[in-house]
Amino acid sequence: MSQSDTGDRRRDSAAAWRLWKGPGLTWLALVALFAVSLGSAYLPLGAGNVATNLVIAAVMIALLVTFLMDLKNAQTIIRIVAASGLLWTVFMFALTFNDYLSRHY
Amino acid sequence: MSDLAGALREPWPDLQLQRAGVGLGMWIFLASEVLFFAALFCGYAVYRSFNAGAFRIAGEHTEIVYGSINTVLLLTSSLTMTVALRAATAQLRKLTLYCLAATAALGVAFLVCKGLEYHEDLKEHLFPGPHFPLSPPATQIFWGFYWIMTGIHAVHLTGGIAVVLVVFTLFKRRVIPVQGSIMEGVAIYWHFVDSVWLVLYPLLYLVGRS
Repeated sequence: MSQSDTGDRRRDSAAAWRLWKGPGLTWLALVALFAVSLGSAYLPLGAGNVATNLVIAAVMIALLVTFLMDLKNAQTIIRIVAASGLLWTVFMFALTFNDYLSRHY
Repeated sequence: MSDLAGALREPWPDLQLQRAGVGLGMWIFLASEVLFFAALFCGYAVYRSFNAGAFRIAGEHTEIVYGSINTVLLLTSSLTMTVALRAATAQLRKLTLYCLAATAALGVAFLVCKGLEYHEDLKEHLFPGPHFPLSPPATQIFWGFYWIMTGIHAVHLTGGIAVVLVVFTLFKRRVIPVQGSIMEGVAIYWHFVDSVWLVLYPLLYLVGRS
């Protein structure tokens, strides 16, 4: 094996390591948040249980979308489209609960 | 023709723009998918707000061990999918193939776990109908949502695994070069299926545990 082959392999493995580093850290954060969510479900927090679990889920999705789906480096048009799904979801929940929670029977 | 030239399609002037185009198309599709799942989540929220006690009783009976293992499997599959995309962009063909294979394997492992979980659920007759074992009757609403939500999610994941395997085969046989734009769409779709599960997990598995 020539010296240039060895050099190429080293460069490839260094490049591969760099590819794992960022997503690996995000994965660690996601698994840690999952563990916190699971653990908190067994604490007697009353209505706080579901709130805690959903807030953690929202943070996990934000991490996933920002770093693994790479929305932080995406073009503005892609960010607008991604946000549109969330916007219409908010409308759906607001209008639905506006109806159900204002019924008095 | 070089691999790079083979990856470029009409009408795109360069690969970066082509990848952005594929990403935009997939995001538009996923925005409609968000609303599809949001309608289920909204229905769940309405019924839960009126039957909080019943949902708590029903939620205690979901298989939290299988649900938790599946969460870790999907999170790990998102890691391997992200590395597959980055490796493809960096033209590291072998790493792309390894990561795609790992992603598909983790997806299959999720489905196997889900199958075992469904088996346990059915053994306990936890399917809404005449012999449903829990009371009050509103517990059946929770289990109706459980089957619909996890079933639709599993269909989405199955589609994702199929696409990953097709792309893997195309790359392996060098039908298309890895640095093309196809990985962009596949990766975004996979992460979306993962993020849907991150909502399903607390709604179906963490209810009534305290």
